[in-house]
Amino acid sequence: MALSNRIADFDDAAFDPFATFESATQSHSGEDPYRRLAEMRRQGSVFELDYRELLGSPPDLTMAGLPKYMVLGAADIQHVLETPQLFSNTIFERNVGLCFGRSLTVMDAPEHTRYRRLFQKAFMPNVVAKWGDTLVDPVVHGLIENFRAKGRADLVREFTQHYPFQIIYRQLDLPQDDIAVFHKLAVGLTCIVVDVAHGVEASQKLGAYYALLLEERRNGGGSDLVSTLAQAEIDGERLPDEVLVSFLRQLINAAGDTTYRATSSLLVGLLSNPEQLDAVRRDRALIPAAIEEALRWEPPVTVCPRLTMQPVVLDGVEIPAGAEIDAMTGAYNRDPGRYDEPDRFDIGRRPQRHMGFAYGQHVCIGQHLARVEMTRALNALLDHLPNLRLDPDHPPPQVLGVNMRVPPAVHVRFDT
Amino acid sequence: MKTWQCLTCGFIYDEALGLPQEGIAPGTRWEDVPAGWRCPDCGAGKADFEMVEL
Ligand code: HEM
Ligand SMILES: [Zn+2]
Repeated sequence: MALSNRIADFDDAAFDPFATFESATQSHSGEDPYRRLAEMRRQGSVFELDYRELLGSPPDLTMAGLPKYMVLGAADIQHVLETPQLFSNTIFERNVGLCFGRSLTVMDAPEHTRYRRLFQKAFMPNVVAKWGDTLVDPVVHGLIENFRAKGRADLVREFTQHYPFQIIYRQLDLPQDDIAVFHKLAVGLTCIVVDVAHGVEASQKLGAYYALLLEERRNGGGSDLVSTLAQAEIDGERLPDEVLVSFLRQLINAAGDTTYRATSSLLVGLLSNPEQLDAVRRDRALIPAAIEEALRWEPPVTVCPRLTMQPVVLDGVEIPAGAEIDAMTGAYNRDPGRYDEPDRFDIGRRPQRHMGFAYGQHVCIGQHLARVEMTRALNALLDHLPNLRLDPDHPPPQVLGVNMRVPPAVHVRFDT
Repeated sequence: MKTWQCLTCGFIYDEALGLPQEGIAPGTRWEDVPAGWRCPDCGAGKADFEMVEL
């Protein structure tokens, strides 16, 4: 039997996870969250507030009832993320624990450290560099071919929204017929914060599918990511199925959704600053600086939540055990004490740490891959779309969202 | 000059480049990096690094 017969759609096939997820990340007020966060930071660092309520996005149902604190000061954010004994990732058991399962995100040391090393091995810089030619380039060139003769495009709808996901399907070597439902289920997982029932349904169905995939690949000696991880050993033992399936369940969101957002915002930064775009077009050695600046200026993930394990005092504020602490990493990246004119996109900045990939034990495992993907994507766009520029027939693109940010569209023109 | 890689996050310390941002001059050998130094990305200690060929 083909695998494609074994992937099950939502019972209610009309459920639209894409719209539900997007609504959970957006602000109803349309207000720029960075302006509000900057005003607050002038008053202090730690506030007893729910950032979702403050910034106008729907409440996270899985966190109902927890006392909630926002952390805005750079030093306090760093302290929260580097002190996991006090500020624990087990907060994620309440949401992504239900849909991804026992992924790295819900674990603390020492369990986390042990599994983290094993997964990181598959995403080390020297490993992911090889994927640039074999996985990334064919995908980005294929997508650009679809629109390069038209002279205009919406780079979000026609490019960034697709490329990181297509790369993952190739990494996993998914059967073509399974992809549409697979993607729908994967996005359905992330609806957990506003729609628990569909999140759990997606988790069960994707879990069942991955279990079949694992069974098929475990002893097959293949070189795709599922086969590689299924055969990986830790202290002479195979990874528990639950940990492996949970990692794979997280991948679409952790790797696809973030990279789509980051690349879209990178394009907004460059296209809105044509002199910087020209500089990069002429000198591709500037691409790494452009990518780091985009991740500083518009990180796709702007909040890292943690759970207090005991009462703590942060910036003079007494916080009880069992509270949700939201380290506002997006605010860190716009701190005027760290970056001059922080709201400006400027690829010429002095290199300095940013928190686009977070920081500490849970720092992004896929950061080296994300950089390869974004580099290849930008190079391909600049190579194949001469005189790439914003389309004057559309309003300038804007990056929107509260905890996850992206421009809804990036309309461009180019010569054919 | 050698390169060292963090096993938990993949951060690379290149002796030739040092880490001027953190006050470690170019050319600083791994054994001369202070014992209490931590990975600037994930906070792992020196023992969690391994020598790599790039
Ligand atoms: C530009 C693209 C990306 C951005 C902005 C990004 C951002 C982040 C952030 C902020 C975290 C930490 C969350 C927290 O501590 O609360 C994280 C963790 C993670 N990321 Fe990424 N990510 C990106 C790409 C990727 C890719 C390509 C992968 C593929 C493997 C990936 C896999 C993961 C995993 C597995 C974790 C959990 C690590 C742990 O808990 O130890 N990410 N990412
Ligand atoms: Zn590290």
